[in-house]
Amino acid sequence: MSLVRPFRARGSLRGAAVLGAGWLAAALAAWALSPFRSLPTLGEIASAFGRLWSEGGLGAELFTTTRLIAVSLALTVGISLALAYASVVPALRPLAHGVAKLRFLGLTGLVFPFTLATGGGFRLKVALLTFGMTTFLVTAVARIVDEVPRAEIDQMRVLGASDARVAWEVIVRGTLDRTLDAVRQNLAMGWSMITMVEGISRSDGGIGALILNQNKHFHLAEVYAVLGAVLVVGLLLDHAMGVVTLVLCPHTRAAMDDADATPEIDSGRAEAESVVDAPESAS
Amino acid sequence: MNTAQNTPKSAKARCSVESEAARGDVVLDVRRVSLTLGAKRVLDHVCFRLVDRVREDAVTGQIACVLGPSGAGKTRLLRILAGLDAPDSGEVLGPGGKPVLERKVGMVFQDYPLLRHRTVKENLTLAGRIAGLDARARNERADELLAMVRLESKADRYPAQLSGGERQRVAIAQQVVAPRRLLLLDEPFSGLDPAALVDVRELVTRVAHQHQLNTVVIVTHDVRAAVAISDTILLLGKGPNGARVVDTYDLVDMGIAWKGGEGRACEALARVLERRFRDVS
Ligand SMILES: Nc1ncnc2c1ncn2[C@@H]1O[C@H](COP(=O)(O)OP(=O)(O)OP(=O)(O)O)[C@@H](O)[C@H]1O
Ligand SMILES: [Mg+2]
Repeated sequence: MSLVRPFRARGSLRGAAVLGAGWLAAALAAWALSPFRSLPTLGEIASAFGRLWSEGGLGAELFTTTRLIAVSLALTVGISLALAYASVVPALRPLAHGVAKLRFLGLTGLVFPFTLATGGGFRLKVALLTFGMTTFLVTAVARIVDEVPRAEIDQMRVLGASDARVAWEVIVRGTLDRTLDAVRQNLAMGWSMITMVEGISRSDGGIGALILNQNKHFHLAEVYAVLGAVLVVGLLLDHAMGVVTLVLCPHTRAAMDDADATPEIDSGRAEAESVVDAPESAS
Repeated sequence: MNTAQNTPKSAKARCSVESEAARGDVVLDVRRVSLTLGAKRVLDHVCFRLVDRVREDAVTGQIACVLGPSGAGKTRLLRILAGLDAPDSGEVLGPGGKPVLERKVGMVFQDYPLLRHRTVKENLTLAGRIAGLDARARNERADELLAMVRLESKADRYPAQLSGGERQRVAIAQQVVAPRRLLLLDEPFSGLDPAALVDVRELVTRVAHQHQLNTVVIVTHDVRAAVAISDTILLLGKGPNGARVVDTYDLVDMGIAWKGGEGRACEALARVLERRFRDVS
C-alpha cells in the first residue's frame, strides 16, 4: 500500500481519519503562524465564541436558522420530487424542465416581488430559499429520472408490473440513493445561501443577522466564531443526510463494501499488495 | 446463400408452408416481421411458426433456439416478441391466433438487469407480488428457485455484490417466479461455468415442460446447448436487407428432440449448425 501513488490503495476509515486530522492540524498551525494581521488568533476566536454562546444567544440563533432551513428544505423536496417524477409523463415534462430553467434568475431581483407576495418575515425567507433550492433540485432529480436505464424499466414491464409500480420501483425507489445525494448537495447550497437570506430581514434574527450585526461593529473574532459555528452545524446536517441515505438505501453501503473488497485498477499488483497488508479473512 | 445438402427448406418456402400447422396448434406465429432502426434495416420479413409439441408419455412444452451471428438482430426480435418494441410491419400471434399480450411474456435480457436496491431474494419475491402471489407463496417460490440455481447463500446480497454469472441466474429465476406461457431468454448460457450451465439448462427445461402450452424461445451462440434442449432451431442470417430466418430445423422430425443432445445424430446436427452458422455470418 502506498500513500503517495494514485489509484493503488483504498484506505481504511481509520487511515482516512488520521490523514484528515493531520491536515486539519496543519491548517490550524498555518492559521496560528499566519503573518496576516487581520486574522484574530485562535484564542480570541474561542473566547468570542464563549461570549456569544453565553450572552449573545448564539444557540438560539442557530436554532432559528436551522428551523428555517428545515422548513425550506421540506418544501423544496416536496415540490421538486413531485415535479421531477411527474416528468416521466410526457405532457408534464415541460413543467420540470421549465422550473429548472428559472435557476438562472438568481435571488436578488426576487426579493422585492416576493416581499409583496409573502408580507416579509419568516415566510419571505422560506419562499426565497425554497425557490432558490427548488430550481436546482428539480434540475438534478429530473436528470436522474431521465438517466434511468431503459433496461430497468423494460425488466419490470416484462414481469408484468403496472406503470405505477414501475414508476415506484424504478423511478422512485431505484433512484433514491442518487436523489438523496442531490438533496444533500441542495442542503449544502441552501445552507450557503441562508446567511444572505437572513440578512434581508434582520429583525427575525438567525445566524445571518448575527453576522451582519457583528460586522457592523467590526467584531472580527466574533464573525469568525459565528462562521465556525455555521460550518460545524452545516457539516452536522450534511452528515445527518449521509446517515439517512445509508439507512434508506442499504445497498449503497453494500456497493461501497464491495468496492473496498475488489481492487479495480491494476488488480494483480493491488491484490499482491493487499495479501501482504491484509489478513486473509474476506473471501 | 449457400444451400448445403443438410439445409432444410429455404426461408421463403418455410413461410408459405401451411402443413406445419396441421401437426399441432400454433403457439407462436411470427408473420413477416420487419424492423428498421434509423437508416438500418435490421429485420427483413422474419417469419416462423412454433407448434404445440405433443408426446404421449410426458407433458411437453416447446423450446426453440434462435442462432445467429452477432448484430443480426436477435435481441431486437425478442423485444418485438415480448411486446416491448413494435415492428414496422408484420405481426406476432400467440395461441389461437390472438396477439401476444405485452406484460404476459417473460424476458431475460442479455445484460441481466435486476433492481439494485433490492436483495436477491427481494428481487424474486417482488416478481411474485406482481404476479399476485400471497406473501407465503412468493416466499416459498423464491426459496425454491434460489435452491434450483444454487444461490441460497446469496439470498440477502444486493445485485452489485454478485458475479456476472450469479446475476444471470437470479435474472432468469426472477422471470420464472410466475408461470409464463411465453418466456424469452437472450443468451442465458453465456458466461456460465459448466455446473451453472447445467443448472440453468435444467431450470429452463423444467419451466418449459411444466405446461403443455409453455413456449421458451432462447437466443444462444451455444450450438450444443441448443441441440440438447430444443425441439426447433432457427438460424437467423444477415441479408443485404436485414436479417431473416434462413434455416429451420425441426428436431422432432429428425427424431433427436428431447434426447439431451446425446447420440450421433445430435453430433451430426451440431456440426451442420456450426458450418451453417459460419456460412451466414
Ligand atoms: N438504436 C439503434 N439504432 C440503430 N441501430 C441499432 C440500434 N440498436 C441496435 N441496432 C442495430 O441492430 C442490429 C441488431 O441488433 P441486436 O442487438 O438485435 O443484435 P444481436 O443479434 O442481438 O447481436 P448480439 O449477438 O451481439 O447480441 C445491430 O446491427 C445493431 O447495430
Ligand atoms: Mg443480442
